[in-house]
Amino acid sequence: MIQMNRLMLRYPTGKTALSGMTMNIEKGRFAYLTGESGAGKSSLLRCLYGGVRPSSGQLTVQGVDVRSAGQSQIRKLRRDIGIIFQDHRLLFSRTVFENVALPLRVQGWKPDRLVARAEKVLEFVGLKDRLWSFPEALSGGEQQRVAIARAMSTKPSLILADEPTGNLDIGTARHVMDYLMELNRQGSTVIMATHDLHLLDTHPGDIFRLHAGALAEELHFVQGKVRAQEEESYVPEI
Amino acid sequence: MFRKSDNGLQERTMPRLPGGFSLPPFGLHQWLALVIVCIALWAVGLLWLGLQAGSSWTQGWRQDIRFHIYLEQADAPRLQALADKLAKVPGVAGVRIVPIEETRTWLDTWLGGSAGVARELLAALPGTIEVTPGLHGGEFLYADLADTAKAFGASINQGEAHLVQAQRVIARVESLLWFGTLIIGLAMIIIISNTLRMTLLARADEVQLMRLLGAGEWFVRMPFLLEGGLLGAGAGMFAWLLLWPPLIAVGDWLQQLNADVSGFALFLPLLLGGALVGWLGALLATTRMASENTSAA
Repeated sequence: MIQMNRLMLRYPTGKTALSGMTMNIEKGRFAYLTGESGAGKSSLLRCLYGGVRPSSGQLTVQGVDVRSAGQSQIRKLRRDIGIIFQDHRLLFSRTVFENVALPLRVQGWKPDRLVARAEKVLEFVGLKDRLWSFPEALSGGEQQRVAIARAMSTKPSLILADEPTGNLDIGTARHVMDYLMELNRQGSTVIMATHDLHLLDTHPGDIFRLHAGALAEELHFVQGKVRAQEEESYVPEI
Repeated sequence: MFRKSDNGLQERTMPRLPGGFSLPPFGLHQWLALVIVCIALWAVGLLWLGLQAGSSWTQGWRQDIRFHIYLEQADAPRLQALADKLAKVPGVAGVRIVPIEETRTWLDTWLGGSAGVARELLAALPGTIEVTPGLHGGEFLYADLADTAKAFGASINQGEAHLVQAQRVIARVESLLWFGTLIIGLAMIIIISNTLRMTLLARADEVQLMRLLGAGEWFVRMPFLLEGGLLGAGAGMFAWLLLWPPLIAVGDWLQQLNADVSGFALFLPLLLGGALVGWLGALLATTRMASENTSAA
């Protein structure tokens, strides 16, 4: 599903966010990106949905070469990706329904099917009764659940979550993780950047630990136990 | 508008459009743009109404303007000689000696069937020659006709000449008005464009989110194009409504001048013109939205 080889990302400011990242994420996995602040987790996620183009190396997401893809290919790729942000990025001037239906409208769904689909995904996150509410009337946890509903509304094969539990208390965070795990069980590949390592105990998955823009450690979850894989740290050429 | 939520708090509610969508936020910037564009369209509408009144008053709609030349105590050979001379004046398309029977019929009709009075008047009436100016009748046609008539001791109907002059002035005013309308239209486009640019800034998160979801350029631009068009059409509608108070106020005066002015004729031009400038303003505002939705690192 995702292959990257010696991926480098340098911002116009000169800051190097990723320096020689090499990893593969198979279809249907639940992958955690961990590491200290500035390790490159969010930058890597941005690369995955085409928010930034890598400076060098190779990155293929769902068969699309992100470095050389045209704008239309990037748009097509994004339509098959659900993105969940730490600050959820809900539109506060729009109702919950409009927020959840936005990806469906982008994909050209007929208006008469939108309400039914929005109700269905909101039912999944337990917010069916808040369809016509505005996000401001919801708690932080509820807002994040709406963001999950929005990300899953188009049944994407890949879900990218950038610290979705960062602003939530432990109980709410576990509920959010339950929803993401359930989406993974239903077939979506989930890649989640997180600092909340305690969640890994109750919601296990593959772990990719990043450090200073490179992959420092890779642990694959296999039937209830974690299998460590040796990783040669790539030292970028200077 | 608010409603009570399940947890007892007041929740904001908005009127919903078909399909469950709410109206886009309509803030101070939009109101200001609406008022400014409305006033501009109203001013343009008033000027065009004024032109309509002037044109109606001078019978500018008539294509068959003719000059009449009168020769007192005219005998047939002199009248014919004058007609021949007039036919040679540059810019004259046709010359006709008005037959006495035609004058009698007209006089009868005008006097309401008083045949005796008509007969007396007819005897005192001068011989009449009708001159039809050509399509390219020059500015000096009237003066040339007057000079030719004077040589025969005849006179020319001055009222008709003044009417033609007034029509020429109105035609020039119309050209200027088209130019002014174009300039005002451009100004309105810029005003709406700036307003929508502010709206774009205020809704940058929405635009960014749509792009992250894979929306195409026109999907992102369409709400703003619709908003611009509706804003312009709304301003046009209000401007049209505001035309009626002054129109009613000068109604008696227009009636006295026999000027036929219709406010309804400006409804579609103002509505569609407003929508067009609004749409063009939105197009201008959204053209500057960077079409690139990824950045090269």
